[in-house]
Amino acid sequence: MRVAYYKGCLASLSAKELDISTQALAPKLGLELVELESVTCCGAGDIQQAEPDYYLHLNARILAYAEAQGCDTLLTICNVCTLNLRQANFQIQKDEALRERVSANLSAVGAPPYSGGVDVQHFLWLIAQGDGYEKLKEVAHHGLKGLKIAPFYGCQILRPSKLLGVDDPDRPHTLEAVIAACGGEAVDYPAKVKCCGFPIIQAREEMALAELIQPIEQAMEAGADAMVTPCPLCHLSLDAWQQKLEKQTGRSFDMPILHLSQLVGVAAGLSDSELKFKRHVVSMKPVLEKLDV
Amino acid sequence: MQVGLKVWRFDTKTAERALKEYEVDAPEEATLLDVLDLVKDKVDGSLAYRRSCRMMICGSCGMRMDGAAVLACKTRMYDVAQAGHVPVISAMGNLPVVKDLVVDMQPFWDKIRAVKPWVEPGYEAPAPGDKENVVSAEQMATIHKESLCILCGCCVSECNSMEANPDFLGPAALAKGMRFVGDARDGQTVERLEELSEPNGVWDCTRCYFCQERCPKGVDPRDAIAKLGAEAIREGIDRDMGAKHAKWFVKSAKTTGWLRETELVPKTQGVVRTLKDVKFGMKLAKHGKVPPPFPPHVAKDVDESRSLHDIVKKQDQRGAQGIVQGERALGRIEPHHDTYAAAAERGPYGPGSFPKPYLPGEEGEETT
Repeated sequence: MRVAYYKGCLASLSAKELDISTQALAPKLGLELVELESVTCCGAGDIQQAEPDYYLHLNARILAYAEAQGCDTLLTICNVCTLNLRQANFQIQKDEALRERVSANLSAVGAPPYSGGVDVQHFLWLIAQGDGYEKLKEVAHHGLKGLKIAPFYGCQILRPSKLLGVDDPDRPHTLEAVIAACGGEAVDYPAKVKCCGFPIIQAREEMALAELIQPIEQAMEAGADAMVTPCPLCHLSLDAWQQKLEKQTGRSFDMPILHLSQLVGVAAGLSDSELKFKRHVVSMKPVLEKLDV
Repeated sequence: MQVGLKVWRFDTKTAERALKEYEVDAPEEATLLDVLDLVKDKVDGSLAYRRSCRMMICGSCGMRMDGAAVLACKTRMYDVAQAGHVPVISAMGNLPVVKDLVVDMQPFWDKIRAVKPWVEPGYEAPAPGDKENVVSAEQMATIHKESLCILCGCCVSECNSMEANPDFLGPAALAKGMRFVGDARDGQTVERLEELSEPNGVWDCTRCYFCQERCPKGVDPRDAIAKLGAEAIREGIDRDMGAKHAKWFVKSAKTTGWLRETELVPKTQGVVRTLKDVKFGMKLAKHGKVPPPFPPHVAKDVDESRSLHDIVKKQDQRGAQGIVQGERALGRIEPHHDTYAAAAERGPYGPGSFPKPYLPGEEGEETT
């Protein structure tokens, strides 16, 4: 399957390990990634909340470049990119006057026009159902040796479900399906569908930490060896800000956090240099020891 | 059909809490509210819940079914009963419980009042010869969805920000605020935006989208909050760190294309506060989480996104209208068939798959 690949800001820089492991994994899963060179940030919800019309144009431009590459699917690896692109796409596809204005503006600056022919799909959705799931089961034969994994969905891959629509927002199952296919055991806990606090972690740190502690604490109580998330923003929050929680509460969590592509990557036998666990703040050592890697 | 319910009862006098199971025979078209009425009428007259219109307009019967806020009168029980599932019914979250399913709405009303939910006339007298000023359909479209609110509180129940900060105005009050900020007849737009941009306002929203998911009337409160942010920034109201954070994304998009991550922190929090946190930053830097700002990571053809910004500015779509566009077309995207099949196989009410209600003292085994 040939798909346009939109990695977004974090995977380009601070979460490079997500991009590297995704690129290493893709061919094994039958995904041909067409990298988009001329694209920009999706705005992360911030541009929508500051200059909504500019937000629409930036996202239309990303979709237009995917369309110009002859791709009908745009692959995302971040919850926030997924929602921003799907929301803009939905508005543009359903509103002809808007589509015409945006397309004309794109042409005026020298970008390709956008006719509305691209579907935005998160990596998780492609590997948790249909053919992708069958491929995943073949690839993940190295297994996770029954490792207990806490799935953490985050918000913008579940809600608003009218724009996302793959998982049931209150009863999601895709991450559990992937964990099972990789030979891990998914542990259950209520906060797996709640917010990690990242969007307000700089402007309202205290509130964000009050949100962040819930999934980490609950995953620990549920006996998880590690957590996995499909979103690099959740990853940054869970992994890097965990030390702030430890300072605040005087407790130690030491909960390793995996990107989805790393979880599948371990099960698919990717090498150290493709997984790049050293780029995590919380050490992955206990997990790797259990796996005997 | 036989319908079973497990209801979290709460006795105010003894402060005792108990999960009671009921089963009644109900007609196939029965809603959750109908079933509760049958329980109260035939089984247990002491059960307390609020109700009035029974037709999704009074907003009285907000409560949780399996951890998710619903209007009881809008929730049909046929599928649930057919699946043999006995749902857990409890009071809404983020509000104090009075008795059984009844919550104290006072904190909710206080926040609604705080946004001055009335028009402060600011229009000019009609021109001589005209009898009245007419508000156009286009002007009303901006606040159409916000006007649909029935004040039921379902959006507040699972609000993650309000859980973290009970003083947060929350989705209902902010959507109400937008309803008046966007009203063409109102003369206090800037003053309102100033107030709503204070702490506990617009920039406290963590964008969890629970409000959007729960609202039974399609108000889409999170979108209303985004509209308020856009209107405030348009008016130059950007003192809050949240506004500065948002503006840096715009600046990044038009200068390098990609987010200038490392500069985002001082641009949001200011240099002084950033320096206070330098130890934290150093630890992140050790793992490559603080990418050096120089040389900047620049997207190819970034001049296009800069020119787009100029064009968009010239076309001058009102901030809020950027979010309204196309919104009327919003409908529910149906899941793919194979997703449906997988969900059906798994069963719609898999164990422990609901967010746990989080009212103080409500940490019992409420998930099924």
